[in-house]
Parts: sequence; C-alpha cells; structure tokens
Amino acid sequence: MTQLTERYLAAAMRSIPDAQRKDVERELRSSIADALEDRVSAGEERTAAEKAVLEGLGDPVRLAAGISGRPLYLIGPDLFVEYRQLLVMLLSVVLPIVGIIQVGIALAGGDSYAGAVLAGVGGAWTVGLHIFFWVTITFTLIERVDAMRDARNEITGAVGRWTVDRLPALPADRMSASDAVGEVISSALGIGGLLFLSGAVWFTDAAGDPIPLLDPDLWSYLVPALIALLAALGGLQIVVFLAGRWTMPLAAANALLQVAFTLPVVVLALTGSLLNPAFADALGWPPLADGRGPVMLSVAAGALLVTGWEIYDAFRRARRADARATGIGRREQAAP
Amino acid sequence: MVDDELLKTHRQELRRGTVVLACLMALRAPEYGYALLKRLDAAGISSDANTIYPLLRRLEERGLLASEWNTDDARPRKFYRTSTAGLELAAQLMTDMTDLTASLHAMNGGPE
Repeated sequence: MTQLTERYLAAAMRSIPDAQRKDVERELRSSIADALEDRVSAGEERTAAEKAVLEGLGDPVRLAAGISGRPLYLIGPDLFVEYRQLLVMLLSVVLPIVGIIQVGIALAGGDSYAGAVLAGVGGAWTVGLHIFFWVTITFTLIERVDAMRDARNEITGAVGRWTVDRLPALPADRMSASDAVGEVISSALGIGGLLFLSGAVWFTDAAGDPIPLLDPDLWSYLVPALIALLAALGGLQIVVFLAGRWTMPLAAANALLQVAFTLPVVVLALTGSLLNPAFADALGWPPLADGRGPVMLSVAAGALLVTGWEIYDAFRRARRADARATGIGRREQAAP
Repeated sequence: MVDDELLKTHRQELRRGTVVLACLMALRAPEYGYALLKRLDAAGISSDANTIYPLLRRLEERGLLASEWNTDDARPRKFYRTSTAGLELAAQLMTDMTDLTASLHAMNGGPE
C-alpha cells in the first residue's frame, strides 16, 4: 500500500459513520489490494496500476455516499415538492406583510418616504433570508438523519397520497397566487395606512402636541378592531388560495367581514365622528369632518360601493366555480 | 445511427435492475467483492466496482445477503452469501425476467 491508496481511503472514510468505518475500510482496502495485484500480475507497472484501480473506483466521496446510503443532495425528490410549496407560501405571504409593516413603522417614526421604503425592503430581505435558511436547514436534516425518518413520513403522509381531488381548478375559476398575494398586500396596506394615518403628524396645537387626523375617541376600540378585521380579510384570501377557489361559505364569510368593516366606518362618517374636528379646524376647512359635508358623504358612498362590489364579486366567483364543477361532473357522467 | 451517449445511458438503465439479480444468483456460493466482480465480468454482466461495493452493502442491510470475514488468508476478505430471503427474491425476479424477455420477443415479432 502506498500513500496514494492511504489518501484515497482517508478521503472515503471521512463521510462513513463511525459504526461502519472499520468494517468498510477493511473491505475496501482488501478490494483495492486484490485489484492491484491482479493488474500487476498481468504485467502492469505498479504505480500506474494503483492509479488505474483508484480512478476506476472514482471519487471517494461519491463511493462513500453510496456505501453509507447517504444522499448526495440536500433535499431529495421525496420532500422537494413539500419544501418548495412551504417556501413559496411563506415567502409570498410573509414578506409583503413584513415589508409594509416596516414601512408603516418607519413612516410613523418620522422617516422620509425613501427611507421608509428602504426600511421595508431591508426588513423583507432579512426575514426572507431567515425563512429560506430555516426551512432549508430543517428539510435537509429531515432528509439525512435516519432517526427523523418518522418525521419525514409524517410530512409526506400529512400531504398524503395524491388523488384527483387535488387537481387545481381550471385557470378561469382558480385564484392565482399573484391574486392572493395582491389581496394580502392590499390588506396589509390597509393596516399600514391606518397606522400611518393615526401616527402621522401634520399639525400641532398651541401647546405643540400633535393633532391627530382620526378622531382620538376612535383609538381605544375602533382602530384596533378595524385592523383585526383587515387581518382577517387577508387571512381569508389565503384560505381561498389554499382551497383553490371561492366557495359559497367562503363568500359568506367574506360578506360578513366586509360588512363588519364598512358599516362602522360609514356610520361614523355620516355622524361626523370619523375625523378629528380639531384637525379640520387646523386645516382651515371645517366641512372636511362634517357628517353632511361633501367629503364624508363621498367617503360613505365610496365605502358602500367598494364593499358591495367585493361581496358581489366573491359570490359571483363562487357560483361560477360551482357551476363549472357540476358541469364537469355532468359531462363525465354523460361520457361512455 | 444511435448516439453513443444515448445508447450508454439506456444500457445503464436496462442493466441497473439486473445487476441485483445477478449478484443474488452468483452469491449462492460465498464470494468476496473483487472475486464477484471478476465473475460477473467473465459471465458477460460487466459492472463497475463503485456500483458493486455499495450494492453489496445495501443488499446486506436489507437482509438479502449475509456476510462473514475470512481471515485465514494473508489478506482478510469479507465474503457474502445470498440469504434465504435473498434466494426467494432471486427466484421471483428470475421468473419476472424470463416473462419480460418472452414478452419483448413476442412484441418484437409483431402481431401476426
């Protein structure tokens, strides 16, 4: 045995588990010696023969991976689909929300618009890296650690055997990922907007205290409730996306949340208690906060129109998807 | 003319399953890794060392082969022998292989 063979064995044994190492090394050593002897007795020069034998065995890391049964990939075909699904879902849902919240916080903290956008992008980037890293490392561990084989079966089991029920709806009915992301972003924008409106300082009173835009009385109960409703609407969009399409119960839930959000806003606008009267005074245009003024009337009308459309649209999509599903069923039954 | 690379890839695919069967049948008489390699080669079932050594380990892990170290010679060698479970599997696979070959021949002859 020369140094070349020793180096080959050392390189191969590095990735063999301790329990197997002695046995594997002993066998590989004798196999190499057998092959070498064969070549030498056939008349080959020893050094050249040794080189040929080792190169015939190939990359020691690859050989060791085959012997120990350890994969040469991070995440294999068993888990890849689940890995990608989870990653795409987390990134597409979490990043916009994080970004927008960061922007909101930066603006409320008095940053410039450019600074706030930078903070939003930076925050989303950091969180994105974390998500990517932790999801990947978890799946990698599950892929390689034998003791985690149960966890692995559970993951593929939870996702379960593929059946035709899992086929995505046709594109016409299906809520696309970008639609879902758009809806979640608009919910998050709404939350950020509420936080921004309540935090931004345009005017200060004689004492130098800020005059808030929204009526301060609302802060104790209504604004938190509105934020919760917006979050629920965003969550509903995710549910719709996961379900693949709007259904009647989901459309009903949407209607309920939409009404719960819009009704108080409309009532407050018409009674003149949405905006802070002191803010309108400071602006020098009292009709702004007046319930019978043009601004509040258009706010109320606009809110009702948008909400009406959102409710109608969800029901329409649900009905169309239902009709298509039963239509396909009928066609299948009719087929010979 | 079939592309050499393509032919090589598909030959490999075709042989992958049969190497297991060949090992199980060859090891009805105990043999060590390098000698098995030579024997398969002489029988026209050529395979690479870096395929056979890991394969022997995997088959042993699954209980299809049993192994024993022989230290009588100057060089200690690990001898493998097909286990009872391995023999059963080999018999089953051999039937499948024969059927498969017959089916392919029939298909090659074409419908009469």
